[in-house]
Amino acid sequence: MFPAKSRTDSGLGRFDWLSITFVLGAVLLCYYLLPLVSLVVSQPPDVVLRRITQPDVISATTTSVVSASTSALVATVFGLPLAYWLARADGQIKTVVTALVVLPLVLPPIVSGMVLLTIVGPETLVGRLAAANGLPLTRSVAGVVLAQTFVSSPFVVVTAKAAFESVDRSLEYASRSLGKSRFTTFRRVTLPLAWPGILAGVTLAFARSIGEFGATIMLAYYPRTMPVQIWVSFTTLGLDNAFPAAVVLVGIAVATLVVLNALGQNPLE
Amino acid sequence: MLELSNLTKTYAGFEFGPVDATVDDEVLAVLGPSGSGKTTLLSVIAGIVAPDSGSVSLNGRALGGRSLEDRRTGLVFQDGALFPHLTARENIGYAATSDDRIDELATLLEIRDVLDRRPATLSGGEKQRVALARTLAADPDALLLDEPLSSLDAPIRRRLRSELHALFDSLDIPVVYVTHDQRTATALGDRIAIFRDGTIEQIGPPSTVLREPETRFVATFTGNENLFEGVAAGDATVRVGDIELRTNEHIPAESAVTVCLHPSRIRLCDPSARPADGSAVHPTNVIRGTVDDWLNEGTEYRVHVNAAGTSLALVTTVRPPAFDHLAIDAGAPVQVAIPPQAIHLIPHADAEF
Repeated sequence: MFPAKSRTDSGLGRFDWLSITFVLGAVLLCYYLLPLVSLVVSQPPDVVLRRITQPDVISATTTSVVSASTSALVATVFGLPLAYWLARADGQIKTVVTALVVLPLVLPPIVSGMVLLTIVGPETLVGRLAAANGLPLTRSVAGVVLAQTFVSSPFVVVTAKAAFESVDRSLEYASRSLGKSRFTTFRRVTLPLAWPGILAGVTLAFARSIGEFGATIMLAYYPRTMPVQIWVSFTTLGLDNAFPAAVVLVGIAVATLVVLNALGQNPLE
Repeated sequence: MLELSNLTKTYAGFEFGPVDATVDDEVLAVLGPSGSGKTTLLSVIAGIVAPDSGSVSLNGRALGGRSLEDRRTGLVFQDGALFPHLTARENIGYAATSDDRIDELATLLEIRDVLDRRPATLSGGEKQRVALARTLAADPDALLLDEPLSSLDAPIRRRLRSELHALFDSLDIPVVYVTHDQRTATALGDRIAIFRDGTIEQIGPPSTVLREPETRFVATFTGNENLFEGVAAGDATVRVGDIELRTNEHIPAESAVTVCLHPSRIRLCDPSARPADGSAVHPTNVIRGTVDDWLNEGTEYRVHVNAAGTSLALVTTVRPPAFDHLAIDAGAPVQVAIPPQAIHLIPHADAEF
């Protein structure tokens, strides 16, 4: 195998090509990092602590964590079978289904909310039936979950699909030729091998759900999630009042990256 | 007994079959170039691929319509296909019914020392041993192997080949062994099936296939580099250009034939020596020639000789002692002895008898 770095590369001066690319890229890195650092530094810990213990922030945090966990769970339950099917299917239909799965990722979230309202809105058949049975699909946690699942489930499907594809099919054939059923093969061979990738997808879906704003505000202004609470605080009381909750979201985002890297399966890398 | 009847499969522009074969409790070595349909054959037998037509039965049990897990056809893959998240013991235990069976197979395949290791830490040979143990643990009714030695280094391949030979002898089940390596096929196969373009070109015992190829393709693929177009001259002789060779095969006179002279069966002699009395070589089959080139292949030398002027550009193999004794070098004169029994004639397909 060739070495990652050639002898001549290391022999060049300080301003070699790799250094130049890094310096240029560093501008972008600063653009990412400085606002985050500025946000965290500008908020004294006691202010953040005082603000995040206020009832409206606690309520929003609870709603966000509960709804994002539920969304991630729903996305996993329905997304894993689809991911497995996509990983193992052949033909044109696979391309079409993959495009459909990716659609929510490229659709502006607020448009996602609008299209969802045409199905589950209070005036639609589904919306009326659900509300009549005590489960309103808008202005409810169910509405939040619907919006979050719509925008975050593709992360599970796409990431799990890649994880399933990375499992050599000959392993499944080997298992089955040893007399094990398809289900046993999936449970004992495919799933354990794809698991880190699947978990990465679920983590990403959770993170995306926690930060979801556009589709959520269309379906469920109440109960407020954290992004909605930040927006309300910003529009009514100003930026300073919105900052502490934003710090919490930044913390969740950083934790997500830590989890992904701990899994060794960061699909964003 | 494994019976394949009129198997066909067409996909991605490749036409497989029709293939008919019966494999008793023996080793059928399936030999052929890449893309000739060898792996498709295993896939169809194992149930990975459904044939378009035809049937597979094992011990009288029709396998058509049965899924992979219901066929009892043990499958050994080229890379072993060991489950990477399980240790060697767990891999074997995946199919074994008891710990005793694991230990028994581990002893048989000499892998007791590696049972607690994961596949990533095993050598290529160890992986194949574990894969074989895992497959045998399921107690299959037939064993299908897809080039299990092809990725191994030569010394390990040689050793494992002889061990497999002994192992297959002890199994009383049909074994289908796919390979593109002629040496492996002849070493392990009770019979060899030569595949070409999805069909069996020739099937038979290794000695028959090697000595009596039925087509030019089989002759070439089994290492016969000396193929010449000739005409049967009657009275057990064949004419190649200006040369007449004595053969043991009787083909009607004036029939067009391909003359096969297997490199390992041609001998080089001292140019000054007359053929020894009682030699199997007919006087007319000793031809003067000149060494064109030679190549040291380790255990033997491959020598290119222009015999009878340049009428016969032959390749022959020479063991080191003979090579030294004859002082072979480019331009050196030699005599080429071609025993009549070393000459095999392939009648042209369009020849009329």
